[in-house]
Amino acid sequence: MAVFTAEVFQNEYLAPGTTDVHAIVTLACTGAGGAGSTAAAGAGASGEAAAEIVMVDTSGSMTGASLAAAKHAATVALDQIVDGTWFAIVGGSHVAQRTFPYPNATMAMVPMEPGAREAAKQAVSLMSASGGTAMSTWLVLAAQLFDTLPDVRQKHAILLTDGKNESEPRERLSRAVESVTGRYQCDARGVGARWQVDELREIATALLGTVGLIATPDEIAADFERILARSMARGVPPADLRVWVPAGGEVLFVRQVSPTVEDLTHRRTPVNPLTGAYPTGAWGDESRDYHVAVRVPTRSVGTEQLAARVQLAVDDVVVASGLVKATWSDDDGLTARINREVAHYTGQAELASAIQDGLAAKAAGDVATATTRLGRAVLLAKETGNAEATTRLRRVVEIDDEDTGTVRLRRDAARLDEMALDTASTKTTRVRR
Amino acid sequence: MTDDVCGRCGEPYPPSARYCESCGHRVAGIAGATDSPGTAEHGTAEHGTTGPGSGATAPACRDCAGPVAADGYCLQCGGREADPRDHWSDEPAPGTGGVCDRGVRHTRNEDAMALYAAPDVRVLVVCDGVSSAPDSDRASLAAAVAARDHLAAVARTEPAAELDAGWSEALVAAVALAEQAVLDGVGEMAERREPPSCTFVASVVTATRVTTAWLGDSRAYWVPDDGPAQPLSTDDSWVEEMVAQGMARADAVASPHAHAITRWIGPDSGDAPPRVVETPLDTPGWVVLCSDGLWNYCPDVEAFTAVVREAVLGTEGGGTAGGGTAVAVADRLVRWATEQGGADNITVALARHPEPGAAPSDNLPLDASDPKEL
Repeated sequence: MAVFTAEVFQNEYLAPGTTDVHAIVTLACTGAGGAGSTAAAGAGASGEAAAEIVMVDTSGSMTGASLAAAKHAATVALDQIVDGTWFAIVGGSHVAQRTFPYPNATMAMVPMEPGAREAAKQAVSLMSASGGTAMSTWLVLAAQLFDTLPDVRQKHAILLTDGKNESEPRERLSRAVESVTGRYQCDARGVGARWQVDELREIATALLGTVGLIATPDEIAADFERILARSMARGVPPADLRVWVPAGGEVLFVRQVSPTVEDLTHRRTPVNPLTGAYPTGAWGDESRDYHVAVRVPTRSVGTEQLAARVQLAVDDVVVASGLVKATWSDDDGLTARINREVAHYTGQAELASAIQDGLAAKAAGDVATATTRLGRAVLLAKETGNAEATTRLRRVVEIDDEDTGTVRLRRDAARLDEMALDTASTKTTRVRR
Repeated sequence: MTDDVCGRCGEPYPPSARYCESCGHRVAGIAGATDSPGTAEHGTAEHGTTGPGSGATAPACRDCAGPVAADGYCLQCGGREADPRDHWSDEPAPGTGGVCDRGVRHTRNEDAMALYAAPDVRVLVVCDGVSSAPDSDRASLAAAVAARDHLAAVARTEPAAELDAGWSEALVAAVALAEQAVLDGVGEMAERREPPSCTFVASVVTATRVTTAWLGDSRAYWVPDDGPAQPLSTDDSWVEEMVAQGMARADAVASPHAHAITRWIGPDSGDAPPRVVETPLDTPGWVVLCSDGLWNYCPDVEAFTAVVREAVLGTEGGGTAGGGTAVAVADRLVRWATEQGGADNITVALARHPEPGAAPSDNLPLDASDPKEL
């Protein structure tokens, strides 16, 4: 039985006349069980399974070591998929093809069992590379396969590519991402240095997954193993973060800030006039932090009120609730304090955008903006104690003074290092407690 | 202390709890104090003076009266659940009543009062929790209820004529019991550097006199229908001590220590005895007890007289037989203090002299003295 807890970090004291309340809400889950185990509180259907699709790039550029490594990784993935889980393998180029179950099979997806695993491995071994890359077709085919299982709620996919989405206009990919959003979750991986970080980030962000860079083909298998182990450990079906604000109040933003920065503000769906739901995907035994900022009508000094209820709902049942409060005070000693967690994650969110802005400016040849923004990133990484970000930044910029954020762009920066910095820009460190 | 259970989810909670650990429902401040040993005989329930929260009502928001969630906050505006401790009034008889209110600026009501009325004896007790000490709201209610219960018990068991001379002793004993009730109520909190504590003022009003005992700066006044009010108490405060030593009052009041009190009820009070004053009553008027939430806005006698008189005249029947009911006058005074800013908790308790409709000095049987039975 999954158990959820909510913890709120904030300074609830507001100066007279002020309206904005910031809080970090830590949601944690234990006892999640495994995918399809329906360990979630309130989960009803018994024997319900999860579904998994592995999408492998089979475009012409994959020919050789990449395809061999990808095929090996796919077989490793098949070993990780727990028996009873519905699964399929998709090969993708400028068109998408169902590799397994074979295109002539009657069922779009089949439950994993030893025979199916061996048959799928056989199908994977026959994959060959040719053609271009149109990832929209892969995403849409995966959605169609998942749609054949209307009763399965936990649907997860891996997408692996080595190149740019070159066989279709960018808008077509965006439209496809939009059309499959909410139908399954997807982790996106790029191998090598020829793929586009922004393309995979768009897919992963919308589909509540992660984006990752795999430097060399021989690392694909280990990465797939980690992704699938995590997916198989998610025993709680897709849950919603619910945010209630008082009448007359408004949500300024809702943002996941740990383990990665993901802005959820625009993904609100109304639950009732005062409450909105934001998708969080499936949960395993894990802890995530959310930064919630709300604006409430100001009240007289001495008044205490609730500024937000931040809740996690599984199957429309609230399983954890955090109370964000507001108390107006004329004591500067109370109101001037900035909560440590709020400050930390505000800095980390800015760090992510500073890195992305800086790299985009660098790619566009705007050296001045790139230098300023990446310098700012160096400063923020130092201030928020994100040593990994500092290490990645060092490969892209020469740091003259970490404390002031004075940097010079490295002329010899490798594209792979820039991509690694970009890909990992949304990763945050937690506040040391 | 009995094992209390949360009124919402039924889980038991320790006596020191403010909120239920299971569901977050607010549980503190009421049950513990009114269950203090002094109420065992329930002698006061006959007058409906069981303290705040005696009426069971559905939880509602204290700001917009909207529905309140299990977490104790309004589902509409986010306001806190109305705490019966925040505002309540009591009216054991038409001429005896009071209002106890949180005011505007404080998040909690640390004032308390407890009243009693029989035709020949009225008891008013007002306590003001020391806001620098946490949980003083519990201390103040426990003290007021314990003192009132003792005085009511004496009034019911002793013939009025004999007692007329003996209320000073009863008041001293009531203070000792109030002190004990605070100690019993606060438990391990007594070990704190600033244990819960409160001021104390009580008046017993009979057909011929008012006897007043106090510790701290909650005040009692006699406000005759004609002429200026007469203070019945002198603050146990730094200001008064300085004035007694010769400092000019204006200088003392301007000092940052002005609000410090020199005596109080609580674990660290040093068991200071109360001062007791007897004052004969031979004209019609009002005995008025109040916390500093009222008198801070009208500290001198002239201002106090004017404020009370205006409140009396503003109530229904004003200007005739001394105004409306005691609780109506108290309500106007509390509202006036709120309009001045409500910087502190406000409590006002009054007894009309003579009690309207009371037989001059007969010892009525106890049952017949119950207003509910009449």
